Amino acid sequence: MGAGVDAVKVVLSEQEILAGVAEVARQHLDYTGAIEPGMRLIEDLRLDSLRLLTLAVEVENRFRVRLDPEEEAAIETVGDLVRTVAGKLALKSERSEEDLDP
Amino acid sequence: MKQTLPEALLAAARSPTAGLRFLDRHEQATWLPYREVAARALAVGARLVAAGVAPGERVALVFSTSPEFIDAFFGCQFAGAVPVPLYPPVRLGRLEEYHAQTARLLAVSGAVLVLAESRVRRILGQAVAAAAPRLGCLTLGELPASEGGEPLAVVASDLALVQFSSGTTVDPKPVALSQRAVMAQVAALDSFWPQSSGIEQSGVTWLPLYHDMGLIGCVCAAVTHPGTLTLIGPELFVARPALWLRALSKYRATISVAPNFAYGLCTAKVRDEELAGVDLSAWRVALNGAEAVAPSVLRAFCERFGSWGFRREALTPVYGLSEAALAVTFSRLSEPFTARSFERSRLGEGIAREEAAGRELVSVGRPLPGFALRIANAQGNPLPEGRVGDVLVQGPSLMDGYLGQPEATAAAFHDGWLDTGDRGFVFEGELFLTGRRKDVLILRGRNHAPEEVEHAVQDVAGVRAGCAVAVSYLPEGASGEHLVLFVERARPIGPAGEARFDEAGITEACERAVLRAANLVVDELHVVAPGTLPRTSSGKLRRGETLRRHLAGELLPPVPVTAMRLAGAMLRSRLALRRARRTARKSGGSHE
Repeated sequence: MGAGVDAVKVVLSEQEILAGVAEVARQHLDYTGAIEPGMRLIEDLRLDSLRLLTLAVEVENRFRVRLDPEEEAAIETVGDLVRTVAGKLALKSERSEEDLDP
Repeated sequence: MKQTLPEALLAAARSPTAGLRFLDRHEQATWLPYREVAARALAVGARLVAAGVAPGERVALVFSTSPEFIDAFFGCQFAGAVPVPLYPPVRLGRLEEYHAQTARLLAVSGAVLVLAESRVRRILGQAVAAAAPRLGCLTLGELPASEGGEPLAVVASDLALVQFSSGTTVDPKPVALSQRAVMAQVAALDSFWPQSSGIEQSGVTWLPLYHDMGLIGCVCAAVTHPGTLTLIGPELFVARPALWLRALSKYRATISVAPNFAYGLCTAKVRDEELAGVDLSAWRVALNGAEAVAPSVLRAFCERFGSWGFRREALTPVYGLSEAALAVTFSRLSEPFTARSFERSRLGEGIAREEAAGRELVSVGRPLPGFALRIANAQGNPLPEGRVGDVLVQGPSLMDGYLGQPEATAAAFHDGWLDTGDRGFVFEGELFLTGRRKDVLILRGRNHAPEEVEHAVQDVAGVRAGCAVAVSYLPEGASGEHLVLFVERARPIGPAGEARFDEAGITEACERAVLRAANLVVDELHVVAPGTLPRTSSGKLRRGETLRRHLAGELLPPVPVTAMRLAGAMLRSRLALRRARRTARKSGGSHE
């Protein structure tokens, strides 16, 4: 499988996370357009429930984080998703070697 | 035959080898032999009793596919309580709809307690506050401690579970299934697997556990057999369908079931490199149910995975419904699926006659042992083979009724026959489905109420208020049902009205509104003139008739009688008269 980044120890910049999200959209959602932080997942990327689910799972796989339902509730745009992942990764690097991934 | 689920699990606990295996996203397995499943469930059952859950009371379960779901489900069984499995929240979707829906399902099921996994519990607050179950919302860890003890006695007539059928958002119907019904369904399924001494039956499932196909068809069937079942979370399958095929291969599983869309998703998404070392030859029974079966999808799946050992004859289209606790008909296991073509125009008249170039339909087989089928006309009278009508079923696993809804229950049964709301015919003993009479959208194996989609567009500018119809059907050659939305254009107000409500703008706005409210993609959207959609005499929109007229090319705007129209007609007749006179003059002139 190997799509995940091996042991994310460094904190990625939001720019790098955005690029990763764009890659997920291209690879797993067949999305070919440009991806901007201001774009809404549902209305602008036109993701239905199946695709939203795919995006959530693939972003989790790629960055080795686990999104909480509470955090997900606040995610409406690509930028929201990127910031949530960035926050998760920062938390993870603070806890250094501890693996949060169940 | 075992009479109840608690009895079945206690029997399974004596199996030295069988159990449940949960796979995570890294394909790491957590193994629970049935001995352990039973011990954990007995402990949860005792704690549910200590928490104050009385026999027969409903307990809502909100869990992802996990050992905790199984603990909670069988814990309820041992406490004599009735589990009501509900959807966990959607991923990245809007939560308002989820809260509202969950609150409604809790209220309708009369749940006294909500058991949820800790990640989900925090966001259930709103729904729980609205429904106010007596014992609140707890995680398994928060249940009061108990010394344990004997499971409460459960008999065959007690309810085993409540599941929701279609239309969970608008008018949720809690399907109440007795222990007798669930065990009869499981026994019918068990009688169908090939019984050969050389093969040890085992299964793999990624189906959600809050519905019959995953819960009764996989978990209850595996526990009762008892056989080993490997479980994958539905979201892991949707994101990486290869996980399903890899698990089937790795654990040499013989049985697995999925709706039509899953077979299509595998063909479309699974890459060769994900299948290194995969061998699907152990897979004897690949059941396909819960939505219309598209022959093109089955053929493409066979073609794609034949070289990985997939057996053509494993594909087994089936038919059933929640009200029957799952399956009603099965096609033959040892043969590839049967597709036949029927003359289109005759089908429209309700007669099935074979024609090579006709509409291709897939057989969903014959009734399971103990079940019976009846095709009936609108008056409820039985029709002979080859005639299209309403599909009615009888059998040992039918629901007791819709919980607390006697009118809806009475409407579902006619003389002891369950009206499925589906339409079809029997041909050479096998059932073929042609469509539905009931108003329900079936998309990717999941049922949706048309109102979910129709309400989403009621505030879209340019759409006539309350004039939207959503239907789904399987177009010929398509890989799955299409969601079709018809909206009437609002009457233009003032001279700028027409320009403001351009068709492309309305289409785009409606598509977004449906995505936002229902998270569904509209496959076809038709903006029609005001008054085009057919209605009943009481003014209700007729969805089935809308689709029928559309497919027949008869969905036409009404012919309005207005002053303008009258003036136009007069003008046309005056012009015609003048033309006629001129022609007469000309022809007269030629004689000159």
